[in-house]
Amino acid sequence: MSRLILKNLAKSFDNVMAVDHISLEVEEGEFVTLLGPSGCGKTTTLRTIAGFYQPDEGEIYFNDRLMNEVPPAKRNSSMCFQSYALFPHMNVYDNIAFGLKMRKVPKPEQKKRVDKVLGMLSLAGMGQRKPSQLSGGQQQRVALARAIVTEPDILLFDEPLSNLDAKLRVQVRVEIKEMQKRLGITSIYVTHDQDEALAISDRIVVMNQGQIEQVGDPQSIYLHPKTSFVAGFIGLANIFEGRIIERQGSKATVEASFGKLRALMGEKPGNVGDAVKFSFRPESMKLYRGGDENLLRGTILHAIFMGDATDLFVDVEGNRLRAHADSMTTLSAGDPAEFSIAPNAIQFLE
Amino acid sequence: MERKKASAIDYLLLVPGIGFIVIFIGSSIYITVAQSFGLQSITGKSQFTLKFWADVFHDKESLDSILFSLKIGLLSSIATLLCSFPMALFLRKSGPGKRLLSTIIKIPQFIPALVAAFLVINLISYHGIVNETLMALHIIKKPLRMLNDKFGWGVVLIQVWKNIPFVLLILQGSFASIRDDTIDAAKNLGAGYFSILTRIYIPLTMPGILISMILMFIKAFGDFAITSVAGPAYPPSIALRMRNTATLFQEWDKAAVLGVVIIAITLLITWLYSRLAEFVTGDE
Repeated sequence: MSRLILKNLAKSFDNVMAVDHISLEVEEGEFVTLLGPSGCGKTTTLRTIAGFYQPDEGEIYFNDRLMNEVPPAKRNSSMCFQSYALFPHMNVYDNIAFGLKMRKVPKPEQKKRVDKVLGMLSLAGMGQRKPSQLSGGQQQRVALARAIVTEPDILLFDEPLSNLDAKLRVQVRVEIKEMQKRLGITSIYVTHDQDEALAISDRIVVMNQGQIEQVGDPQSIYLHPKTSFVAGFIGLANIFEGRIIERQGSKATVEASFGKLRALMGEKPGNVGDAVKFSFRPESMKLYRGGDENLLRGTILHAIFMGDATDLFVDVEGNRLRAHADSMTTLSAGDPAEFSIAPNAIQFLE
Repeated sequence: MERKKASAIDYLLLVPGIGFIVIFIGSSIYITVAQSFGLQSITGKSQFTLKFWADVFHDKESLDSILFSLKIGLLSSIATLLCSFPMALFLRKSGPGKRLLSTIIKIPQFIPALVAAFLVINLISYHGIVNETLMALHIIKKPLRMLNDKFGWGVVLIQVWKNIPFVLLILQGSFASIRDDTIDAAKNLGAGYFSILTRIYIPLTMPGILISMILMFIKAFGDFAITSVAGPAYPPSIALRMRNTATLFQEWDKAAVLGVVIIAITLLITWLYSRLAEFVTGDE
């Protein structure tokens, strides 16, 4: 188990900055997810940690040991690849034992450890099968078994669930999380799937254009996004611009194109007359019940039944807002509707 | 969707290819085998006999020819593989200049075997470029005999030069099927370069290695053109010996025995290689 430290890490390819001077500290046993859209630099960061890429600038430390010049084979980090990267000519047992053979672990010990992870990942009895004889979920479990059997200091996951169907993805991510908690291995997980990141991580690092936008636990990332990129990328968000027309300590009134909103600004700077950007989640825009703050009157444009909720597109003063109502709502396109937004649900963005 | 059954017209499309093989190659093999046992004789009375087989296997020149061709076939296929494999590994990933290098390496593929033999003769003959250069540099005092040498090194050299592009093409296909992730996974699990070579590259390219060795062996074992120009005065290659037996000595039945030996050895080596492939790749 190791603490991972990235200091001012930078990596470019053909003058395109893939990772732009990022710094990050990951504690021992922590599960941190690098989340962002394609091309944001998350996989490059992961592959640089693994040693497949040499950083242009900056330092990588496992505990106090500088790893920049250490080849991948000597880093004692294990990676689960998006493609699983199982060795097609070897059976499940040999795939899992590969890392142990490379470390010259005695054969009886190899067998003991391989049998243990086979059992741990519900693969008992499949040791003699070839990867081509396994389902996608089983192949992913073999890849995971191969990664943990060497007891690495750091586990690296490169979008390991992206080739699985939706149900299996949820099942395997729970297994990964449980196993990581049980073994306590420091883990870096790369994904572009926000649900996966929210469900699995101790902390999320949201990346955009090679830089870190925000670092925080899943709740704070979702509930308190700092930038419009984070607000827009994680979950659904109504993002608008407005102007402060009143400020009293932590409370403020903002005038936007669809009306005035009372909001809690906390310690955030902002004086009367300043332009601000803010967001609120569709589930924060609730059907109005008498006495709620921030009443908005609008007309339903679309009502889309989603099973557990109804997704509403609402026209408010010519602005298109998104709200969620429960699945039993009778609202439909063309109906007038009243909504309210709690002041603490409004997030001010940088 | 229901799969359409093949109609009579679909089967007719197979006639030119399969028909050619069955009629011409099948009948040629039949006549060769039959003649080796005295049947279908074109020079005398047709009668079943094992005499021609006994003659060939009591004839020192024929046995020497078979052994010589076996040696040339095996050495050429191994040497070509040893030269081509590192090149295919080097050319696996694109890089500056590799495309040009890959094109240059393929040139011998487009030169006919006989022309290739004459080209290489100019290099390695008694007064060829190699000997003249070595003498000019005072590395040797008198020219080395590299051509028509008794062992057949000259033949092997030309076979290798001529067939590197062919083997390279097959190996490059095998290497292309190995994903970068597979190699990265091996590195990540602690494998050094040698382990990756022996545990990943070689097993995963083994089907390509074996098929290229089989094809290379067949080409070199049955070669006529290169051995007749650059081979030793004695023994001739089995193909050359067969030609001489049939056309010079008019012993068509003995020539047929040699023909059957060529076919049988080729099939045997192909079978051995394919068994080896199954053993290495673990396929049943």
